[in-house]
Amino acid sequence: MRAFWPIFKRELFAFFVTPLAWVLIVVFLIVQGMHFFLLVDHFSRATDVSGDETPLSAFFGNTVLLYLVLLMLVPAMTMRLFAEERRSGTIESLMTAPVSSAAVVLAKYAAVLTTYVAMWAPTVLYLVILGRTGALDWRAAASAYLGVLSVGAGYLGLGLCASALTRSQFLAMLWTALVLLALFILGIGEFVTREGTTMHAVCAHVSVWAHMNDFASGVVDSRHLVFYGTLTVLPLFVATRAVDAWRWG
Amino acid sequence: MISVSHLTKRYGGHVAVDDVSFDVGKGEVVGFVGPNGAGKSTTLRIVAGFLGPTGGRVKVDGHDVVNDSFEARRRIGYMPENVPLYPEMRVVEYLRFRAELKRVARAARAAWVDDAMDKAGVLAVAHRRIAHLSRGYRQRVGLADAIVARPPIVVLDEPTAGLDPNQVREARALIRELGREHTVVVSTHILSEVEACATRVLLLHRGRLVAQGPMDEIRAMRAGTALDVVVRGPRDVLEAALLRVAGVARVSREGTDAAAPVRVHFARTLSGPEREEATERCVAALVGAGGGVREVRPARSSLEEVFSVLTHEPAPGEVDA
Repeated sequence: MRAFWPIFKRELFAFFVTPLAWVLIVVFLIVQGMHFFLLVDHFSRATDVSGDETPLSAFFGNTVLLYLVLLMLVPAMTMRLFAEERRSGTIESLMTAPVSSAAVVLAKYAAVLTTYVAMWAPTVLYLVILGRTGALDWRAAASAYLGVLSVGAGYLGLGLCASALTRSQFLAMLWTALVLLALFILGIGEFVTREGTTMHAVCAHVSVWAHMNDFASGVVDSRHLVFYGTLTVLPLFVATRAVDAWRWG
Repeated sequence: MISVSHLTKRYGGHVAVDDVSFDVGKGEVVGFVGPNGAGKSTTLRIVAGFLGPTGGRVKVDGHDVVNDSFEARRRIGYMPENVPLYPEMRVVEYLRFRAELKRVARAARAAWVDDAMDKAGVLAVAHRRIAHLSRGYRQRVGLADAIVARPPIVVLDEPTAGLDPNQVREARALIRELGREHTVVVSTHILSEVEACATRVLLLHRGRLVAQGPMDEIRAMRAGTALDVVVRGPRDVLEAALLRVAGVARVSREGTDAAAPVRVHFARTLSGPEREEATERCVAALVGAGGGVREVRPARSSLEEVFSVLTHEPAPGEVDA
């Protein structure tokens, strides 16, 4: 695991020295900024505000924007992790150094997760602004950010796994986007299927929409955490095995 | 330092390395020579721990590359073919990263990186981005990377590929220099490239080890297969006389002008001393036919011809095998 730290540093460096990370962060912040502006505008006009709908819960839950943004950003963030190193051959230098596959996978994952957190960090400002003008439930906000982190962790895990399974960055991006889209559409099924059926239960369990609604209203459901925990650990495990498997190809 | 026994590597149905065994001793500079696709890179990748063998064992300084891969990798500085580097990093950043990855202690890191840059001759470009480096400098950065953790063994895959003649000369000198402190394994598809720096040569052909020995023996193998003769006199008569000499397989002419030498190819079954006798008979035959022999020298055959001798297969472009 001593290889974790140098690889983590290098990955972060590679992210921020190339324009990719900056472009992604700028796009993300523009979309989220507009989103926030529209929400605040909406709430300031509303004459009767129902008790359980707040700008906070509307920003993180009950909105399709969050997922659309993640659907586009996550594949772009994770596609290069392994695919680029395999295409350019640098993976050969990397793996012939005394490093373990697990350290390589974890370091790359930690780096992309750190970038993701850095991307979200400026949005805390929005909450500070909200908190100055009215009452803000900081515990609900913390829960919402926990949700954002969990969903991101799971999605990035899937993306990293896709990047380890193919040599082509484009395919890695495509696969990640398709899997995330499939998960999202399956979650939509919650509203389409009849309540009480198995299908409905499955859809509700994987519905990122329902998860984020809970998190955004301050409900931390351990089932959601377990779901995203699994979505993180399983792909990372598969990626580690994939890295080991190249040796025998 | 490196011990390879019955190494085999298969990709699906294709056998890339077929039952190869060799040893490399401490302080040796070994050249790994073979045409493209002979299995050189595959073998070196297995030794360096990047690929796993399908069969056989590889030990690096007593550590098995499969079961004890970590310790084996710590003892090797490996430069892959085409020298893959991270283009967005500066040279010194890259080497510091590699040194940390290879567990050079923090206190020693800066000094060892400087030392490696000095030896590889990249101090002048230390703060340039790798993306902006020329091919020659990229190669040197790869070399610096291979030696930065001061490993006992250095493995270089095609270190002179894509360099211009001046750079090739410098690279050879560097490799010779490395041989003083490290055990070195170098691969190339050009035999003359290792002549200058290797003490021993391994010849690989179609995944098999066809010959190994000290550089002198391989050199003798190259020298012995043909003879260049500069001779004055009627060509047709002289060539006919040569063809009647026992041991001569074929006669060809290099160039068309009168001063161009005649190349006499010996039969492949001839041993070294037999070839020397055949040389004497050739000269006698030429003199007997009225030719004025001006110059006789062993022709340096190409690597392909050496391989064709070793593997008893016709070399490309040879018809009367």
